[in-house]
Amino acid sequence: MSLLKGLPRGCLLLGLVCCTGCASLKGGSFKEGDRHEEFNRASFRLSEAVDERVMAPAARGYDRIVPGPVKRGVLNAFRNLRGLDSALNGLLQGKIDSAATDLARFGVNSSLGLLGWFDVAGWWKLEDQQEDLGQTLAVWGVTGSSYLYVPLLGPTTWRDLPSMLVSNVMPRLVLGPNYHWSLSGLDVLGTRADFLTATQLRDSSALDPYAFTRDAYLQRRKFLIFDGNPPLEDFFNDFDD
Amino acid sequence: MPFASDTRRQLALFGMALLALCFPSAPAAGEDSAQGVTEQFHKVLLQAAGLEMIGEREALLGPAIADAFNVERIASVSLGRTWKGLSEAERTEFTELLAALIVATYADRFDQYTGQRFVTDRVEAVRTGFVVYTTLERPGNSSVSLNYFLRDGGIFNVVADGVSDLSLRRADYNSIVKREGYPSLLAHLRNKIKQARDRQ
Repeated sequence: MSLLKGLPRGCLLLGLVCCTGCASLKGGSFKEGDRHEEFNRASFRLSEAVDERVMAPAARGYDRIVPGPVKRGVLNAFRNLRGLDSALNGLLQGKIDSAATDLARFGVNSSLGLLGWFDVAGWWKLEDQQEDLGQTLAVWGVTGSSYLYVPLLGPTTWRDLPSMLVSNVMPRLVLGPNYHWSLSGLDVLGTRADFLTATQLRDSSALDPYAFTRDAYLQRRKFLIFDGNPPLEDFFNDFDD
Repeated sequence: MPFASDTRRQLALFGMALLALCFPSAPAAGEDSAQGVTEQFHKVLLQAAGLEMIGEREALLGPAIADAFNVERIASVSLGRTWKGLSEAERTEFTELLAALIVATYADRFDQYTGQRFVTDRVEAVRTGFVVYTTLERPGNSSVSLNYFLRDGGIFNVVADGVSDLSLRRADYNSIVKREGYPSLLAHLRNKIKQARDRQ
């Protein structure tokens, strides 16, 4: 007890959190409805209209003009700045290996990778663990959350909303006074350009792009929460007659 | 009488033992068969990617998809409750339309061979079917994990990097039925088939 008293409160909280993080997730407990469908659809229409008139044409121009290695470098650099977020959340979920991998990635790519421009760590098979606050909350038991389409920002859930905001400000937090507003523009443009093929595929397949986007987002989040291994039985049981 | 009862029990146990001896080979045969279904489909898909005209690709893919996929199951799951209210003729019409869409979509997506390669990673037997884990390797691009879910010998769901094709279909189709009605869904599907063919 005296030993525990000697530990800083932060360490105790972290330990508690890590233990909670070890709790096993159940696929069937994921109930993510769309309680705000009317608002979400309006938000989706607005975002699509802005995207169609501004973002997509700009992203197509960027995609045509900027050479492939530069586009890759921009994506790598911003992903590197978000690596610390992933490392922290890996730790909060009790995944020490995952957090260590992200920290190692950040160290290697920030130095040998020239501020993240080159994914040297990726060449060494140190993969991005893609953890975030939304996944941490899910591991802590927040498995049910309503879907939300944030105007101009895109799909999320109430549970994932803080994560979306943290992810957006992360480069600013890491770079501090060295951050310039133009970097935000580059970040958004590079990301949108990277999604051009995905949105083309969606538009060629979807009958109702809103419903398609929602289902794809929720499935992808479940996949990430289960670290790429969602319960197999869900893929059978969910489709029973 | 007790003797007869014991004899019957012994015969039953003997029969069960025989069944148990036969049984271990069954899942392995099932796994081989599931892997065979997906590998044959991949083979045809890569052949089709080398053809120039979408009509040629569709002609090659049509029979392969009919063999590999359980389209009727995909149709019934995609429509959910609406399927139960359809007549036999309407079910046939929807299943045929869906099969045509699946063929047109694959023919549209695999429109050129650029060195893609499918690798079967493993096969897993689960309580109600099989999962064949594969990877699509694309030179110069990141690879895609493609997991095929089979039941009753046919593919009913393809999961690409964690996103289930069947789940997307179900969400998409049910949304249209709910908002615009079943006839509108058929019109949308016909339009998608035409769009895929026109993109050639």
